Amino acid sequence: MFEIFSYGDAGWGDEILRGLAITVQLAIVTLPVGLLIGFLAAFASLSEFRPLRALGFGYTTVMRGLPEILTLFVVYNGVGLLLNLTLRWWKPDAPPTDFSPFVAGVIALGMVFGAFAGEVLRGAFQSLDKGQVEAGRAIGMTDRQIFLRIQLPQLWRFALPGLGNLWINMLKDTALVSVIALDDLMRMTKVAVGVTKQPFTFYLLACLIYWAMCVLSEVVLARMEHRANRGIRRA
Amino acid sequence: MNPLEILIEYWPRLLDGTLMTLKLTILGALIAGLVSPSLALIRVHAAPMAQAPLRLYVSFMRGTPILAQLFLIFYGSGQFRPTLEEWGLWTFFRDPFNCALLAFALNSTAYQTEILRGGIMGVPQGEIEAAKAIGMSRPKILRRVVFPHAYRIAWPALGNEVILLMKASALASVVTVFDVMGRTRQIFSRTFDFSVYLWAALVYLCITAAFVLLWRQAERRLSRHIHAPGMPRASAQPFKESQA
Amino acid sequence: MTKPETILKAEDIHKSFGRLEVLKGISLEARNHDVISILGSSGSGKSTFLRCLNFLEIPTSGKVTVHGEEILVKNGKPQNVRHIEDIRSRLGMLFQQFNLWTHRTALENVMEGPVQVKREPKADARDRAEALLKRVGLEDRMHMYPSQLSGGQQQRVAIARALAMEPDAILFDEPTSALDPELVGEVLKVMQSLAAEGRTMIVVTHEMGFAREVSSEVVFLHEGRIAEQGPPDEMFTHPKTEVFERFISKVK
Repeated sequence: MFEIFSYGDAGWGDEILRGLAITVQLAIVTLPVGLLIGFLAAFASLSEFRPLRALGFGYTTVMRGLPEILTLFVVYNGVGLLLNLTLRWWKPDAPPTDFSPFVAGVIALGMVFGAFAGEVLRGAFQSLDKGQVEAGRAIGMTDRQIFLRIQLPQLWRFALPGLGNLWINMLKDTALVSVIALDDLMRMTKVAVGVTKQPFTFYLLACLIYWAMCVLSEVVLARMEHRANRGIRRA
Repeated sequence: MNPLEILIEYWPRLLDGTLMTLKLTILGALIAGLVSPSLALIRVHAAPMAQAPLRLYVSFMRGTPILAQLFLIFYGSGQFRPTLEEWGLWTFFRDPFNCALLAFALNSTAYQTEILRGGIMGVPQGEIEAAKAIGMSRPKILRRVVFPHAYRIAWPALGNEVILLMKASALASVVTVFDVMGRTRQIFSRTFDFSVYLWAALVYLCITAAFVLLWRQAERRLSRHIHAPGMPRASAQPFKESQA
Repeated sequence: MTKPETILKAEDIHKSFGRLEVLKGISLEARNHDVISILGSSGSGKSTFLRCLNFLEIPTSGKVTVHGEEILVKNGKPQNVRHIEDIRSRLGMLFQQFNLWTHRTALENVMEGPVQVKREPKADARDRAEALLKRVGLEDRMHMYPSQLSGGQQQRVAIARALAMEPDAILFDEPTSALDPELVGEVLKVMQSLAAEGRTMIVVTHEMGFAREVSSEVVFLHEGRIAEQGPPDEMFTHPKTEVFERFISKVK
């Protein structure tokens, strides 16, 4: 009965593994994009310049209040529309192009990750010990040096648990891209279900694979947290 | 069409979708809210072996996409159709709304259980001892001291969970439930007018904002004991002992 | 004078945490109007002993009798668990950290026991709670939450809460040691007035003044046993054991 999961023509093992590969790629490509957006959002909301602060606050608030799937559709359809509009304006006789669902996924998931990460990073910045920054200034470090040598290494420690949670959420959110026809784990499962007519078996398999990825992430994150907390005594 | 025309033409559908989103969210949160207190108590007090199935359940719910959980219930139930028909449950599982509600309630139960567990563990041991010392029975201690306090601690996190559930309810559109997201996709597929997504975003933001205000109002009532107006403290000593 | 009746009797209380034996057989009898101070250095087991009296800590073995109601404990298992809540409602208890219910006002804290445990009508309980709060000098703080009160005031609310149950005896577990020095006096004053009223009290304390002036009997615990016991005047002026002599000289 495990034949249907086997590798090759008879089974769905290879299709599902290919889907898994897309899911993992998507998550890994999204992470740096999301972190970048997160840092920008955090800097914006910590800025002395009011409009920038409002922008940072507005972005994180709005993005966190929207369903992820809506964001995905807005990006997929909206950016696709925009792309074709500019294309036509540029070259009126160009054929309409399809916006890559992979890129749409990276942008949408990155935007969501970034909004939440912005809050995590802002919180981490604010919990840094002010005295250490002053100590850095006192020995004549520049702001840049203070940021790179003192704040960033410690920021990591404060932000890691929050970012770890976001990573797991994002990993799960990648399942949404199946709705815009990206051949990820979820969609390949759907294809297998369509042919085999065994929806429970295959969706359970998909669940178990996601579950395994999340549990694995948790283990790795716990290790990283442990490492990041070296030299910190817990009260 | 300009954005306003879309709204004028389609607002009844969007309103209809809004009500559906609210229905899914409120019912889902409520069902989870009814089940989670006893599960949380098990998580706090039961022997590790007795907790094992519960921990597995919570871990599964937190470690898999809600979309996959929804598909597992909605499509997956089809695999057991003959059995379900025999038990008279098929009419339940055939309905996408029921399946979505079940999936969301199951998912939210897992999260609410963990949140409430944290709340229960945060109740100062001394307050429980004081209740024991005047001879309160265990059920009464739970009802009068532990849960009132645990909910106050857990309140903000529970609010977050309800918002997450509200956002997750948009996934019901994928199994053809016509909530805000479902209506929006329907309207978009007819008009190809992008602005309908922006209206949908506005609807979701309004629901979130209204909910946040409501929840804070309730929180203020719940936590009168922390920042009640009135006289300043008679002593400069901060009383964190009672929290210790 | 008739022989005062026994309110509380503890016989041969043992308590171990794992392999560590904290109480090695302690017996104590409190008769009506007794004020017993329990002294001892930290780790002597005095708080544990007090908590065994109302079963907040279940003794490993021993017997506690409160007003004829007795609970025998063997191998860490009380014989009649049902009576525990009953005994607790007859013994008031004051804690080092006050342990007021932070989500209820002072008045609600005092009313909780009579209404919820003794099932008294709310109106009666309220009247009595108000009177008790007045008695401990907090008539103007009745509707405040614990977070709005000073430590001394919180402890006085806790005393009113204990009195509201009309206990046969009150147990005090270092009631002043979490307080700022300037707040200790107000609590001791209330305790002193309770003693003067003839309340039966068992007090674990570090306040030598209180032990000496107010109590009728002093018990000194050392390493889980009663090392010395007697009327305060005699004990403080002529300590019989070396450990107690060292203890009082250190505290002074």
